[in-house]
Amino acid sequence: MSGFNFESPRLQAPFNALPFHEWVFPDGTLWTQFFRTSAGYLLRFPDLADFLVSPDGLSATCSPAPEVTDATAHHLYLNQVLPLMLSRQGKLVFHASAVEIGDGAVAFAAASGSGKSTLAASFAISGFRLLTDDGLVLQGSGPGYQALPGHPSIRLWEDSEEALIPAEVEASPALAFTSKSRFLAGRDIGFCDRPRPLRRVYFLGDGGAPEIAFQRMSAAEALIQWVKHSFLLDIEEKPLLASHFDEVARLANQTICYHLDYPRRFEDLARVRQVITGHAGEKVETA
Amino acid sequence: MKLTDKAAIPAQVMARQVGKETVILDLVSGTYFGLDPVGARIWQLLAEGRTLAEVCAAMLAEYEVTREDIERDVLILVEELRAKQLISVA
Repeated sequence: MSGFNFESPRLQAPFNALPFHEWVFPDGTLWTQFFRTSAGYLLRFPDLADFLVSPDGLSATCSPAPEVTDATAHHLYLNQVLPLMLSRQGKLVFHASAVEIGDGAVAFAAASGSGKSTLAASFAISGFRLLTDDGLVLQGSGPGYQALPGHPSIRLWEDSEEALIPAEVEASPALAFTSKSRFLAGRDIGFCDRPRPLRRVYFLGDGGAPEIAFQRMSAAEALIQWVKHSFLLDIEEKPLLASHFDEVARLANQTICYHLDYPRRFEDLARVRQVITGHAGEKVETA
Repeated sequence: MKLTDKAAIPAQVMARQVGKETVILDLVSGTYFGLDPVGARIWQLLAEGRTLAEVCAAMLAEYEVTREDIERDVLILVEELRAKQLISVA
């Protein structure tokens, strides 16, 4: 469980300490600062909102900046803050989307802007139910893992929206800081609200491949990729990091991880879905 | 770097075996390094606090390799690990 409260909008006062971590976009724009406070963690999204997160990651209080809408603050909570809180609770949370194929979950892990939401949306409007758009939570289950359902919605850039989403699909209110739109699951976007056994994980390439290409990853390669795609709130909490490393190493030993690349063309997505569906249904090779 | 030197592994640097390989990761910087089983054995000996000469002697006893080759390989690996700040050497 993770609790979330709003406080009244207020100006972001300078914080009297250096952040212990920052997220910065490739163009140098500061996106998030992580501060340690006596009450837990302060996550600052400059000019948007402050989130005070309890030390155990179980609750967060949001103070939006003036003029910032509740929808924007809630969006930040769902997409940025909640996955970090879950990581602080010891859960495995990754930058990955997931859909239900057959009786299992297939995940697509990638950095922002690499096509994981577009691919998941492509499946979701084609009869495969969405499990999560990002912030994939995995939970150990016997010898394997289960993919847990996330928020029943999907966020897409305008070009993916135009190519994939029927006009009648309900969208959340527009946000000031991004041109991405959030589409709610419903009749056209099916949502799977139950955990599903994780069958395959595809780490997406950069789209440079001329054709659809799969490559089985070694356990070491998978470990490195899982670590790179992890949500982690406190990168200085060494016991928690060590525990996370142990869990991710166990996850990496599952023989289900592949590198996948394909040309990023909307007109090819049906073929990509077909190939992935076939590949994901194959018996898992043993190392 | 001398064969009498020892490696020190920072607290935030950890190694885990996955499959046939060992991955070394700096949990703070995110720097990582993959080792094959021979490299992993060298890492294990370094982590036990042995000098580079003692590491080479152990490897000579365990593998069919010449002293010249193993000393070169150990020094190359240690230098790579040091360059990635996964160990310090003194």
